[in-house]
Amino acid sequence: MDKEAALIKKLKNPALKDIAFRELLDVYQERLYWHIRKIVTTHENADDVLQNTFVRVYKNIANFKEKSTLHTWMYRISYNESLRFLENDKKKIYANIDEVSSTHLEVLFEDAYFDGDEIQIKLQTIINSFTENKKRIFHMKYFDDLSFRQISEILYISESTLKSTYYSTVKIIEEKIFL
Amino acid sequence: MEKSTENNDKKNFITESFIGDTSKKHTAYLGTTVPEGYFSKSKISIVDKIKSEIEANTIKSRKQVVFWMRPNIKYMAAASLVFIFSLTIWLQNTNTKDNFSKTNSKILSFSEDHLINSLFINDSEFEAFADATLINEIIIKAELSERKIDDLFLNYLFLEDSLIENYTDKNFIETIIL
Repeated sequence: MDKEAALIKKLKNPALKDIAFRELLDVYQERLYWHIRKIVTTHENADDVLQNTFVRVYKNIANFKEKSTLHTWMYRISYNESLRFLENDKKKIYANIDEVSSTHLEVLFEDAYFDGDEIQIKLQTIINSFTENKKRIFHMKYFDDLSFRQISEILYISESTLKSTYYSTVKIIEEKIFL
Repeated sequence: MEKSTENNDKKNFITESFIGDTSKKHTAYLGTTVPEGYFSKSKISIVDKIKSEIEANTIKSRKQVVFWMRPNIKYMAAASLVFIFSLTIWLQNTNTKDNFSKTNSKILSFSEDHLINSLFINDSEFEAFADATLINEIIIKAELSERKIDDLFLNYLFLEDSLIENYTDKNFIETIIL
């Protein structure tokens, strides 16, 4: 927490902002990339959204009120940018949300940067069968290593709901993955 | 690229933990990969994008300050607008006055001589002619007739009834009417 506070202080200092921003990139770039990638599916889309996320962070860091941690704040920005991207993409290509869901797997499997084997494809298919909320909760908890509290601040869902949703999702995956 | 079969028989798939290495975890469980050296290149791209956006915003705001937002330009534009607006109102008022005096002159009745004479007057002298005619025809004559009536009654006071009879003729009646 002290490290984060020191980093925020540097980011808000115009003289040190650029140097601090490079530090920020070192810490968060990879984690945010994967968080975004799971939402927007392809590497190319994730690259675009990642750039937009960090541009937004750079522009708005001076106004960051520190009501949440920097970590949570950046995840929330990346999550919102991903949803914004999907919304714009949906308007261009898809007619409705059901079409988005079924097309997500097709797009994923055709992506040049997907190299999944049978079991990985199976896992992707099982996760894709969940509702969007369940998917996000599972991804954030299991793959992004976020705490329930952090996920609650990003998704505005209570911690108790998150916990019950997550554990029921894990149970379903464990049952289905080895069928 | 051939698909990996490493995990096909693994019974501890998804229960294995990858603490700290996010990319490895995603590749191992979800089959998703990234181009080699992507994160280093991405860092440079992000920094470059931010620089270019800042430069673009700076140029845009400078252009605004240089031209549209300069105080002297704003004041000149405002002064021009006020001048044009005032001029419009003044011109409208001038026309209204002319119309008013023209309308009033239509209501007045002039003798035929004056009407004919008015045809030979220049436009620039017409207003003066109209004023003069107005004064002659109406104001002065009304004043004269009023004096006549006053004189009549004064004379009646000093003279006998026989003399007043001389004034109760056609001229007297005309004077009263005028």
